[in-house]
Amino acid sequence: MPEATEPIVERVRAAGPGLVAMLAEAERTWRSRADGGDRTAGWRPFEDAFPTFYQFTNRPR
Amino acid sequence: MSSPMWSGMRGIAVVPSYVIMQPTTLCNLDCAYCYLPLRADDRRMPVAVAEAVAGSVNTWAAQSPRFSVVWHGGEPTSVGRGRLERLMAPFDGVEHHIQTNATLIDDAWCEYFAEHEVRVGVSVDGPARLAERRVLRSGALAYDRILGGIAALRRHGIPFAALCVVSDPRPGLAAELYEFFLDLGCYALGINVEEREGVNARGTGFPGGAMRTFWAELTAAWRADPRIELREIEWALRYAGAALAGTDDQLLPRQLDPIPAIGQDGRVVLLSPELAGFDDPRYGDFSSGNVLDRPLHEIVAHAAQTSQGWIGEYLAGVEACRASCRYFGFCGGAHASNRYFEHGRFDGTETDHCRNSKICLLEGVLEYARGH
Repeated sequence: MPEATEPIVERVRAAGPGLVAMLAEAERTWRSRADGGDRTAGWRPFEDAFPTFYQFTNRPR
Repeated sequence: MSSPMWSGMRGIAVVPSYVIMQPTTLCNLDCAYCYLPLRADDRRMPVAVAEAVAGSVNTWAAQSPRFSVVWHGGEPTSVGRGRLERLMAPFDGVEHHIQTNATLIDDAWCEYFAEHEVRVGVSVDGPARLAERRVLRSGALAYDRILGGIAALRRHGIPFAALCVVSDPRPGLAAELYEFFLDLGCYALGINVEEREGVNARGTGFPGGAMRTFWAELTAAWRADPRIELREIEWALRYAGAALAGTDDQLLPRQLDPIPAIGQDGRVVLLSPELAGFDDPRYGDFSSGNVLDRPLHEIVAHAAQTSQGWIGEYLAGVEACRASCRYFGFCGGAHASNRYFEHGRFDGTETDHCRNSKICLLEGVLEYARGH
């Protein structure tokens, strides 16, 4: 792991079971959107909604 | 912090994933926080500019699974459907997006969007009492007209995303805001905390505690009812999940997207569309060329490969972020326009925007998670 990332990783890990539970819920939400077949939903929500994603990470993921 | 190793965002890609088109400088609104310098003037894009842009874009689109052309303003609908149709006509194989304040949207516009498969993003700041800074040129609130346009979209079953400017982030706000957007019927929501840029000189050094609480409360609201794709919160969760899985260094793009923004007169500004329309004694007009003089793909490739002028200074700034900021893997570096309008140059690092919309966001989401 890159050295400069370690403090943030530690902070994420410190969020503990609360974060793990929330991530599991989020994964279910993302799967249910993708399963819905809606052109506006799914695992590419940001590309669909916000091509101007430069405000965040410069490019849609 | 020492020896940063984040591997993304190195240099500028020569092929973008989207372009931004400015069909007119004019906006029929006069929002207090707007950055656009020429929004009272109606300087319209000639069709020849769109044809020149399409000459490069159509090739890029043919080589990519998806490529977006984003019609942004000014207010794009203010040019009228006929004009917009002529500007869109040269493009082939692209997704058209429009970012609009919705005040001019009626049944005819909805039919146009449906016919041309235009994806719609509406700029709306929440319930009326939170939208007092989004106003008509008369100074009257634009709220009712915005909702009128959204009602038309809903009548026609046209999905829309929403972009919301938050000018006063504070505890107690997020739940009300999210509830409003649930009722509004948008399928996605992006939160833009007000930025000090362009002609908007208002300070944006919001208190960190209030900022973190805003994001934490928004996380709680989304978790309780995640019907809306909530850009900031979901991105932070993706990052946190990747961090736990040890794959967080792969989230950022390998290279910066050049994001060509084509002004109404054909000038091309890369990386930060907010710089278009400004001049600076040191940096000139920030443009990398004009599509009426040189093909867009050559302009982008030359600028990406030579990194002259402010672009080179900006890339040095990205490297400074990489070297000094532990949030780089989440953020990818401060944006060019925020650096320039806050620091007066491009090689500085942390901005108000970084603190408000990146650092406090991630920390707010983690703060919520720790307590639940």
